[in-house]
Order: sequence, then C-alpha cells, then structure tokens
Amino acid sequence: MNATKNKKNMTGPVPFHGVTGKIYGFLASLKFTILLFSLIATGSVFGTAIRQRVSLEEYLSAYSEHTVRLIKFFGLDDVYHSTWFYSLLVLFLINLILCTVQRLSRFMKIMRSELVLPDEKSLSAMELSFVIETERSRDMEQWIDKSYRRVMSSAKEMVYEKGILSRYGVFTIHLSIVFILLGGFADTMLGYKGYMVLTKGEAKDRIVTRGENTVERTFNFTLKCKNFKVAFYPGGEPKDYVSTVEVIENGKIVMEKDVRVNDPLNYKGIRVYQSSYGRAPSFLFNISGENVILKERETFSKDQLFLMVVRFESQIHGLGPGVLIGYLDKGEPKTAWFFKNAGRMQERNLNGVDIRLENIAEEFYTGLEVSKDPGVWIVWTGFVLMLFGLYVNFFTYYRQIFMRRRATDIIVAGFAPKGKEAFREEFARLKAMADGSES
Amino acid sequence: MNHKILGLVTLLYLLICVIHLLYFAVKKEKIMAVVWLTIYITFGLHTLGLISRWMESYNAGIGHVPLSNFYESLIFFAWCVSFVLIIMKKRLPYPVITGLTSLMSLFLMGYASLSPTVQRTIQPLVPALQSNWLHIHVITCFLAYAAFSVSFIASLLYLAKWKSIVPPREILDEINYRSIIVGFPMLSAGILTGAVWAHYAWGAYWSWDPKETWSLITWIIYAIYLHVRLVRGWKGKKIALVSIIGFLSVIFTYFGVNFILSGLHSYAT
Repeated sequence: MNATKNKKNMTGPVPFHGVTGKIYGFLASLKFTILLFSLIATGSVFGTAIRQRVSLEEYLSAYSEHTVRLIKFFGLDDVYHSTWFYSLLVLFLINLILCTVQRLSRFMKIMRSELVLPDEKSLSAMELSFVIETERSRDMEQWIDKSYRRVMSSAKEMVYEKGILSRYGVFTIHLSIVFILLGGFADTMLGYKGYMVLTKGEAKDRIVTRGENTVERTFNFTLKCKNFKVAFYPGGEPKDYVSTVEVIENGKIVMEKDVRVNDPLNYKGIRVYQSSYGRAPSFLFNISGENVILKERETFSKDQLFLMVVRFESQIHGLGPGVLIGYLDKGEPKTAWFFKNAGRMQERNLNGVDIRLENIAEEFYTGLEVSKDPGVWIVWTGFVLMLFGLYVNFFTYYRQIFMRRRATDIIVAGFAPKGKEAFREEFARLKAMADGSES
Repeated sequence: MNHKILGLVTLLYLLICVIHLLYFAVKKEKIMAVVWLTIYITFGLHTLGLISRWMESYNAGIGHVPLSNFYESLIFFAWCVSFVLIIMKKRLPYPVITGLTSLMSLFLMGYASLSPTVQRTIQPLVPALQSNWLHIHVITCFLAYAAFSVSFIASLLYLAKWKSIVPPREILDEINYRSIIVGFPMLSAGILTGAVWAHYAWGAYWSWDPKETWSLITWIIYAIYLHVRLVRGWKGKKIALVSIIGFLSVIFTYFGVNFILSGLHSYAT
C-alpha cells in the first residue's frame, strides 16, 4: 500500500455526504493534522518562553502592563492547563482516530484485493519481474517457499508475502498515541499531585497541591515519617536521602517502606516520592526550670507569659545563631532576641519569668511528593505499542512475490511498498538463483 | 588520563577535517582511504576515552557511566555522530558528508574541552540521576541527535549549490530520510524512557518541563516531516527545509533550554 503512488486513493471512503461529509473530510485530513501539530507546537513554545503559573507581580516585573493583559487574556500564563490547549489535544485525538479509521478501511480493501493475482500483462509490466522456464525453477521455488508465506495458490497462480506485520506499523503507532492521550486525560481528570513536609516522628493525612491556588487535600490514611537519613559525598553533595515511611490506616500500620529518590512507595495507587529535604531548627529553652522544645511559629504559655518563636537566624550581627521571640507585655506585643553563643544574651527575664536558651538543634525534615495517576498503565501500554509500532514500521518490510505458470515457463514478479532498494537486491539474487540452475 | 585521550581525539577530528580539505584540493581517492582509517582510529580512541573516564569515576569512589553532565553529554554526542557515520558508512560514502560530520564532532569536542562554562571534572551523581533509566534515556536521545545531525547536513547540502563536490540530490534526499527514520524512533524512545524515569524520580511522567516540551516540539516537527513525505510524497527543497527546522529545534532542545530556560533538567548544564 504505497500511498504516495496514488493521490486519488487518499480521500478514501467518506461515510457522510454534503456539508457533513466536508467537515468529516477535513477533521480526518492530514491538513488538519499538520495544522493541529503546528498549533500545539506553537502553544508549547509560548509555554516555555513565558514563565508559567507565577504571581501577577512577577509578570508585571517582566512585561509591560499591556503585555500582561494579553498574556492573561490568552491564558499564556498557564498554557498547558488552559482550555484552548486541551481543546487542541482533544481535536488532535479526534483527527487521529478519524484518519486512522479511514486509512484502516482503505487498507482492508487493499488487503482483500491483493489476493487476486494480476494478469500476465501487468505482471510483465511490473518493475521487478522476469520469466523462467518451468524446468529450471525448482531451486528458486524452494527458496521462496522457505522464506515467504504462501497466501494464495492454485494450479497456475501463486502469491507469496513476507513481513506482513510491517503493514500494521502505522496503525500501531497511531493507536499508541490514542492510548497515551487517553491515559493522560484520565490522569488529568482523576489524578492529583501534591506535597507534604514531615519531620522525624511526624504524621499527616493531607497534602498541599502545587500551583497558583494551593489546595489542601486529605486521603483516608496517614503517612508517618519514622526516620529520615541523608548521606553525603566527600565533596558535600547529597548522595542518598531516604525516609522510612509508615502508612497508617484505621490506626494500624499497613505498610512500611524506605522511600528514596527513584524508588517511591505505592499504596492503593497513591505513590509517595522522596522529593526534597531541608533542615528545620528547634530550640531548647529552660523556662523557670522547665525544659521546653519549641520550633518556629510554635507558642508556649506559662503563668502571665505568652510567647511565640517568631524567627530563626543562623548568623546575626556576628553573635552567632539567634532566635526572635515575640511575647505580650501587658497586652502589648514585644520581641526579644536570644543568642545561643553570647553568654549574657542567652538569658532574659520576660514578665518575671526566667527564660534561658539552652540549645538550638537543627532537625532534618523530608519533603514528600504524593501523587495519584490512575491512567499511568494506559500510558505505559501506549509507550510499548509505540516502540513496537515504530520498529515494525521502519525496520521491517513487507514484500510480495507473484508467480504465474504458463505452458512452459513462469512469470515471477515482486512488489515492495517500502525498502525498495533492499528488495531489488533480494530480487536480483532470486533471478541469479534461477539463472544459476541453468547448467 | 581521560582528558589526555579526549584531547588527542579532538586533535584527530581536526586532522580528519584537514585531510578532507586536502582531498577536495587534489581529489585523489586514496586520501579517502586515509580518512576512513583515521575515522576508525579516532572512534576507537574516543571510545577508550569514555571508558577511561568511566573507570576513573570508580577510582574516585563516585562511579557512574560518563553520561551525567553537560561535558559528558557533549563528548558522548560527538561519539554518537561518529558512531552513526560508521554504521551508515555504506550509505554515506561521500567526502563532503564525512567531512561535515567530522567537523560537527570537532565542534562538539572543541566546545566541550575549551569553553570556560563547561564543568569538566567528574562529578558525583545527585540522587535523581542514580537510576538505570539514565543510561537508556541518554543513549537513545543522543543517538537521535546524531542521526538528525546527519539529516541536517544532507539537507544543507541539498540546498547548497556546490555542484562539483556535492552528491546527487536524490541521494541527499534519501540520506535525509534514512537518517530521520533512525532518529525518529530513537527520539521517541528517548522521550518515552525519560517519561518512565520521570515517573519514578519526580512522580509525574510528563511535567511540561522546558526540556520535555522542546523534545515534544522536535518530535512534532519530525512527525510532520514523515507525514508529508510518506503520505503527501513531498520531496526536494520543501522537505529539506522541514528537516532543517527539525534540527534547529534539536539544537534548541539541547543547548537553548539549558542556557535560556530553567527547569527540572537543570543538572544537565
């Protein structure tokens, strides 16, 4: 089926007539495919050239007010999630399906018609053909029988073929893209993605989704960080970081796993990825004889004192690490710095309560990415189909050999829609085989 | 050690280019035999250079295949160009094509060893890169880039009008197509393996990261090429232009994205 040969064949059977037929024809056409390809590519260029999903201030600092208005109007600040971009992908899917169906029905027709052996005249007129006397044809026929499949044979007519799979390559590739797109749409509609931050011992059942408008989302189990470890290379770069995560459902631990980069946890289709880590400081205070551990933004109250840890600085005015405490003095908010390494400023009396900063410890926290993508297996199927289809389409070849017996000789002809050069060589060998059996 | 070998390899690519100039001056077929011999030797040493870098990384205690940073990718890109040239030797026996591909390798090697912005030391692998998908992803992508380089050279020559040294136009058209049907499945495999890897490393098989997006744009351009050629039967000048646009997109995917746009692939710089 060499489509380049016959342009008239290209339109194929159209199931509708009139205007509907015209619209159908356009939707299934290669022209439309190329238009969509170009629009998707152009949209993608905008999506990489303009920063996506950042705040209005950032756009205003980069572009003029007028440009920002245009960017917002066309949804260029979030191309890949905009309605028009999705519409292009959906139209592309429709176009792909229609043109594939059209092509498939044409293909089926050709497949059936090829089983009819061309007559003598057209066989002799084929680019690759020769005539051999029947008595010298044995070797050649044996060879053809061995390397080709006989698809039609009667007393006088024979059709052989090889590499039939190759003809399904295009359909496999097109089908694979349908799978990938459908899987992707399924994930967009049914899946989600977010992150959570856990320190050692902490447990959470909610994630925050990324994007301009963050949303909290809960699920019906809890993730607990049992342990977190980081290993470094001698040069100081991180070598490995791993969170030991427990999945707790209805108060019971149902799963425990070391989650590392490239090795996520999977529980009921929800995957937990090791994505980042950091250090969070915690402060050991001695508040009138009592040891209290506080983290940033945590509060504490005792007697007439109410305080909150406001801010931590690892280095301040050359006094070393310091922590800023906010407290209420007769209803009025005040602040006070505590420094770990500056003797006198390690201790204060606030509202008659003695407070001493004993220690600052830096604790690791782990950043976990949580996602659900129910369509992922559809996408994987698409991937396998695509690689298989590409291989079959470009690296295997369909070939046909026709033979027609006459009174004392046989006409042999060959046809290959693709990989003609290699087939010409094979056909020459075939002819040589026939000529060689002369002696 | 690997720097010495790769330095020598760079000089050899220069030598190959010089011998080509000599060939065009005197047009003696024997010179092309010398060219091919030098290409084989250079390719052998180039491979040795990669292996020695690989071994040295193990001796340094941070062992990994040399496919992890921009420098290593440039060296590997040049290696792939030579590899494609050698496996397609039968189809590419044209001095102007071997000359230009060697010039391409020379440029990549020279850029890798001379540019002050390229980090040449062996660096340890960050956790995200510690995956077996790294190898297959990088190898498929760069084989694709190399095949597209050949198609680009063929397209440029198609449009050039130096009749005396350029092979016949039908042959250039064929080389263009042949390289693309090698490059396109490789690029597809590169994108797909990258997606599978991203799924395990980042938690999403497609994030519209600039590198991903640009590889999709490249894929689309070559898909257009294949469709207009195979279905519409386009040939000649028009299709050569599509191929050139495709290669410009390859270049932007490889260099441009690293320098201009930031994203998840930032460790590739």
